[in-house]
Amino acid sequence: MSDKAGLFRPDSLSEALHLLATVPDSRPLAGGASLIAMINARIVEPAALVSVTQIAELRGIRVSPSGEIVIGASTRHRDIAEETRLSGTLAVVPDAAGQIASATIRNMGTIGGSIAHADPGLDFPPALVAAGAVVEVASTAGRRRIPIVEFFVDWYATALSPGEIVVAVHLPKPKPGVGLYLKHRRVAGDFAIVSIALSRALDGETHIAVGGCGPTPVASAEADRILSCSTSGAALAQAGEVLTALADPVDDVRGTAEYRRLLIPRMLRRAMFDAAAKSAA
Amino acid sequence: MEKASVSLQVNGATCEAQATLYDTLLTVLRDQLLFTSAKRGCNQGVCGACTVLADGVPVRACLSLALDCEGRRIETVEGLSANPRMQALQRSFIRRGAFQCAFCTPGMLISAYALLGSDRPVNEADVRKSLSGNLCRCTGYKKIIEAVLETAGDRRSGR
Repeated sequence: MSDKAGLFRPDSLSEALHLLATVPDSRPLAGGASLIAMINARIVEPAALVSVTQIAELRGIRVSPSGEIVIGASTRHRDIAEETRLSGTLAVVPDAAGQIASATIRNMGTIGGSIAHADPGLDFPPALVAAGAVVEVASTAGRRRIPIVEFFVDWYATALSPGEIVVAVHLPKPKPGVGLYLKHRRVAGDFAIVSIALSRALDGETHIAVGGCGPTPVASAEADRILSCSTSGAALAQAGEVLTALADPVDDVRGTAEYRRLLIPRMLRRAMFDAAAKSAA
Repeated sequence: MEKASVSLQVNGATCEAQATLYDTLLTVLRDQLLFTSAKRGCNQGVCGACTVLADGVPVRACLSLALDCEGRRIETVEGLSANPRMQALQRSFIRRGAFQCAFCTPGMLISAYALLGSDRPVNEADVRKSLSGNLCRCTGYKKIIEAVLETAGDRRSGR
């Protein structure tokens, strides 16, 4: 297909993947919330952009016959925040979506663009780790599925290969229970200093992920096991210690690494109390 | 950089412009089409001064590529100047003195206009949440919030 000064707007996924594989120095463009800001600052200067928001199959949320929830990559944050089928243990996902930046950014940004950008301060990565997501990606070589904890590799780095894009995020069938996202930030609209994503089923099975404290979301099978068995003060302290030891925060304008380490157990405790209050309600 | 022709629907009219790959909607609105209500503050999507409506929904003009806006319905404060809801907001802003330098005002008006677009009742928390992506460095926000709440109250009492 033809471009306009380097912009392609394909309406099928196969066409988009073909362009990304063949047009030199091309990048996929979704909502623009991160990529256009980076272009404005000339942090990146791609020769061509492939806009994917016209592609119908990448949009919207559907429930598979087995009850799995599939979120298309170009679904906007606002639509995820308002999605009532993301309930019970999956409520952590819309709760996080509704706390991303500001309402206007939530009208633009997409879940695929957000996780592909992999900024460690973002809200979706820890929420999707707690929810047990699997990322479906595609290129001209075909499709594959990547568990969310393997998808995030390093600061701003993912398991995506060149020419590969996120096409959907798969979430397991929600269980009765609670999900919530606790975000500590300086002012409305800012990135998290520390965030806690929590998913807890009625039977006690608990999954926690910490955001803003290292290159990728911090999660631990051991911490999850401790909290799934007990919510005593000792269990909360022990799980907090495990997560804090795994965290690798840095000093930045939002806070010091030491401050972040101090916040993790405190915010974990508050998130667990909030979850208990939410269950009781 | 290479430029391409783009045909944009702005404020009810078809406007022809020339844009490079990196030219944002904001650049084209301001520099070519002379709709200067949308302001260039941070150019990073943070300050909200460039907020416009695309297909009726508030977006950042600085984070939208002009070439990617073809086929979308763009509205700025200029295009809403005869709209009763926008006029009511503007009157409340004046009555309440909801600005000092006024650089943020068009973005505030667009966000408030979108908030008041449904018949749903609006409280102070809704206003604060809706305007949280619009920075004002002069007013401390109090008068802006009062102005939007006043318009919301007038709307509900039918004034």
